[in-house]
Amino acid sequence: MRFHMANKFRHILLAVLLLVAGIVCAQVPQRPEPPRLVNDLAGIFSDEQAARLEYRTAIFADTTSNQIAIVTVPELYGYDKAQLAYSIGEEWGVGQDKFDNGIVILIKPKTGSSSGEVFIATGYGLEGAVTDAFARRVIERAMIPYFKDNDYYGGVQAALDVMMPVISGEISTDEFSGGEDDGALAAAVFMLFFIGFVVMLILVSGNKNNRNMGGGNHRGGNGFSAADAFILGSILGNATGSRGRSSGSFGGGWSGGGGGFGGFGGGSFGGGGAGGSW
Amino acid sequence: MKKGLVVLLVVAAVVLGLYSWFKGNYNNMVKMDEGVQAAWSQVENVYQRRADLIPNLVATVKGYASHEQETLEGVISARSKATQITVDPENLTPEELARFQKAQGELGSALGRLLAVTENYPDLKANTNFLELQSQLEGTENRITVERQKFNEAARVYNTTIRQFPKNIVAGMFGFEKKPYFEAQEGAQQAPKVEF
Repeated sequence: MRFHMANKFRHILLAVLLLVAGIVCAQVPQRPEPPRLVNDLAGIFSDEQAARLEYRTAIFADTTSNQIAIVTVPELYGYDKAQLAYSIGEEWGVGQDKFDNGIVILIKPKTGSSSGEVFIATGYGLEGAVTDAFARRVIERAMIPYFKDNDYYGGVQAALDVMMPVISGEISTDEFSGGEDDGALAAAVFMLFFIGFVVMLILVSGNKNNRNMGGGNHRGGNGFSAADAFILGSILGNATGSRGRSSGSFGGGWSGGGGGFGGFGGGSFGGGGAGGSW
Repeated sequence: MKKGLVVLLVVAAVVLGLYSWFKGNYNNMVKMDEGVQAAWSQVENVYQRRADLIPNLVATVKGYASHEQETLEGVISARSKATQITVDPENLTPEELARFQKAQGELGSALGRLLAVTENYPDLKANTNFLELQSQLEGTENRITVERQKFNEAARVYNTTIRQFPKNIVAGMFGFEKKPYFEAQEGAQQAPKVEF
């Protein structure tokens, strides 16, 4: 009996130790320093493609406060793809602390011997907008068709096209399930305006290029005056229905040059999202 | 007179120091205890979410695979058993947690059997409603994994604190007890057993 008890205790201890060890030894890719939203660890984007994606997601983060991190990995580091995506989101703190409005798009490219894997992990705050079923549709209809042709950039852009308006409350997820082309088109047009407008403002205000790296708030710097940022922010903020941005972080992060994401906010992930493979 | 004053001051300083030490530790433990309870309610939430998906799933499967009565009923009865067991977060004992985990584990394996059976029905597998439910179910299982991990982590931090000397003295005085962990389920990763 005693032996049995001791044995059982040992089992429990072992289970707990293994679990704790699993948590401690988790080898998630390091949080990028300076902070970046696009982390191409697998090297599937060209420099220009990565810069464009970074630009697009950084602007989206700055105007709506929703952070979409795109992470490509050469391998899954022994994780399940879902777990790896959440762990990255949780450890990097993608999304704002207050809203948990982060998204992690994890891509492991297809190689000769292994299948391609993709997972969209949603922070707690976005589980309502990006439901698991919606995430699965985005993957199956927008991403994988491109990925099959080795066009990773096109697949990610297509996914952003449909996800960004949903996240910022532009269209409902139902519209995408009905006619995806409409949704994508609307999103593309919207984004075109959006980017055009931003580029114009940058040109207008464009004096010195000061890439503000290193995170943190950047107030009253070059490139963008606080007034520009405020006008831009209030117009875009209204257009995209964003709310509750912490004041003072306007103009933070990016100025001129394009890019320069302000930093992860400490968002939390609870296991929402979906994955796919090809 | 002067000596008395010094003694008084020293005593007052010691008392004040002790008080703030106790206060700090006690409040910290309360905070962590609340954290564990919050993590627990998240765990219950995600299990409830799974339970909420089941009636819809069963109804959908029934439409295509009505003669899998036994499997379907297995899921329904496991669900009703599992939803009956709730654990008061104030009273989170190892026994209560084990009971909860066992009931949920049974529901999990009943669901696994059901999903295995659905492999035989191509029409059902093509049904969009079923596909949606399946991805929701997958998402819920992911959430369960995540919330269990978070709970264990919160419990681990709390347990480490209350058992360390000298904080264990404060914990013992105010009745802070060790929290149980979710254990990795034996056979959870295995395919459901076929019973004859």
